[in-house]
Amino acid sequence: MKRMLSGGLTLGTYLIALIYFFPVFLMLITGFKLEGQAAIMPPTLWFTPTLDNFDLVWNSGAAKFFQHSIIVTLGSTFFAMLLGVPAAYALAMFRLKRADDILFWFISTKMMPVIAAIVPIYLLFRNLGLLDTLAGLILMGIAMNVPLVIWMMRSFFKEIPYDLIEASQVDGASGWVGFIKITLPTVRPGLISTALLCAIFAWNEFLLGVSLTYTNAATMPVYMATFMTQEGLFWAKMSAVATISVLPAMVLGWFTQKQLVRGLTMGAVK
Amino acid sequence: METVNKQVITAKPDRSTERRKSHFKPPVKRLMLPSIIFVALVTQIPFLITLYFSLHQWNLMRPDLGRAFAGFANYKQLLTSASTWSVIQNTFVLTVGALLLCLMMGMAFALLLNRNFFAKGLVRTMLITPFFIMPTVTGVIWKNMILDPNFGFLAYLSQQLGAGPVEWLTHHPLLTIMMMIAWQWTPFFLLVLLAGLQSVPEDAIEASMLDGAGKAGQFIHVTLPHLLRYIEVASLLGIIFIMQEFGLIYVTTSGGPGYASTNLTFQVYRTGFQGWDIGGASAVGVIIVVLSVLMMTLLFKFLRRTFQGELS
Repeated sequence: MKRMLSGGLTLGTYLIALIYFFPVFLMLITGFKLEGQAAIMPPTLWFTPTLDNFDLVWNSGAAKFFQHSIIVTLGSTFFAMLLGVPAAYALAMFRLKRADDILFWFISTKMMPVIAAIVPIYLLFRNLGLLDTLAGLILMGIAMNVPLVIWMMRSFFKEIPYDLIEASQVDGASGWVGFIKITLPTVRPGLISTALLCAIFAWNEFLLGVSLTYTNAATMPVYMATFMTQEGLFWAKMSAVATISVLPAMVLGWFTQKQLVRGLTMGAVK
Repeated sequence: METVNKQVITAKPDRSTERRKSHFKPPVKRLMLPSIIFVALVTQIPFLITLYFSLHQWNLMRPDLGRAFAGFANYKQLLTSASTWSVIQNTFVLTVGALLLCLMMGMAFALLLNRNFFAKGLVRTMLITPFFIMPTVTGVIWKNMILDPNFGFLAYLSQQLGAGPVEWLTHHPLLTIMMMIAWQWTPFFLLVLLAGLQSVPEDAIEASMLDGAGKAGQFIHVTLPHLLRYIEVASLLGIIFIMQEFGLIYVTTSGGPGYASTNLTFQVYRTGFQGWDIGGASAVGVIIVVLSVLMMTLLFKFLRRTFQGELS
């Protein structure tokens, strides 16, 4: 009886997972179908996969926007780490009088909706010539990710045993050398998962992209939105673009599963 | 990492005093100031400018009128127009509705995953994948392939069952968007709650078993109290992000029909980037900030408590 119940629960779990995943699954397979097969209901699972759609959308624009997304993601992640990691280190390692306030301020910037600042940012960008540039988007992406880096890295730094830090500082080497040679390698798993999480957020960011770019710096989410309005009826092509758009973040997400909780809750839960 | 983690536990109690005694002088300012200045410059200063603009009459479509100080005219206009109130109501319904859906489904999924069964990793991966899908793709796929009243998968299903197709996005725009948001955000709740379930102390469970508590009693008296903190964290962060939903609305309904699915965030975009009414959009932005601050103050107490462990 008990075994049957357990088996039933497991079966139910499989079923729920299949239903929940279905939209993603449909997208993933439809991109490999011919346009004629794509809209047939129920969706057929037996078909000869073709790369034509991917070829077509890649060469008719997607490649450019994909490149923009890559540059913006890498740029904003790299600089957010560069700014955030030292600050997180200072907050975790040294007894600071106002550490609480500083941390709280960082988390509050994350809670304030970007949209409330977007109009002045747009106008400033227009005046500074940053509108529709990759540099502008990277700049904003850094600001979005720095608080996340600080929160996450701080909790990783706090786990380093103190002896190790002291060892890294005493043997005459300058503080920086010890920091780079001993401290950073110790928190490598933390660095990697923080960077990956930043990358996922930067990759999927849409509000800034759609408000601050047109064509020269538009990213994949923006391209996806315009593509939809133009060719939403061509499911195979649409699915191909969608698949290209989500693949990087999806794969990174699969790899960071274990560290995700800590990053998403900004360290409040491990 | 294993060994490092073990050392942490023994090193923990008096680390802060030890640290104070240490003899190297840390360049704290040089480490912290760049990030503080940068984030303040990019995110805080524009807020102040928004506040300033909201007191002005300024439409980019009418350069002839220029920019003129208008006092609280924008606010007066906003607060007396019916659309503003429906937008605020939409934001509230969307956020609370999606949050409840996420909590219920996230809890159910977490309980299902907190067992041992074959291919558990794969199942978990399938359940959390929607979280990594960018909102614009979620919207596009759902709108066209699942919900389309003529060609969508749901239309096919209801046809098989002999029911008529439902025009999801035209007739139930808010509810439909709420479901899509729940689809995207449930994985987040699942992950946090699962982390909670997996950290229920073993001895508490054993003790309750010795007391003769059944599975249900155990859940209510041991698991749930432990989960409370996790539920708080998930809800708090969920509210913050769900309230700002934008991409999904942009690609599915563009806030329509009328204002039926416009939330506050999308309203700023409509006013600012479609109507080019800088003053009006800024005023909506300020209202968002006021509401967020209000909410954050309400949540402040437990916010502090929630992040206290981290802040100490």
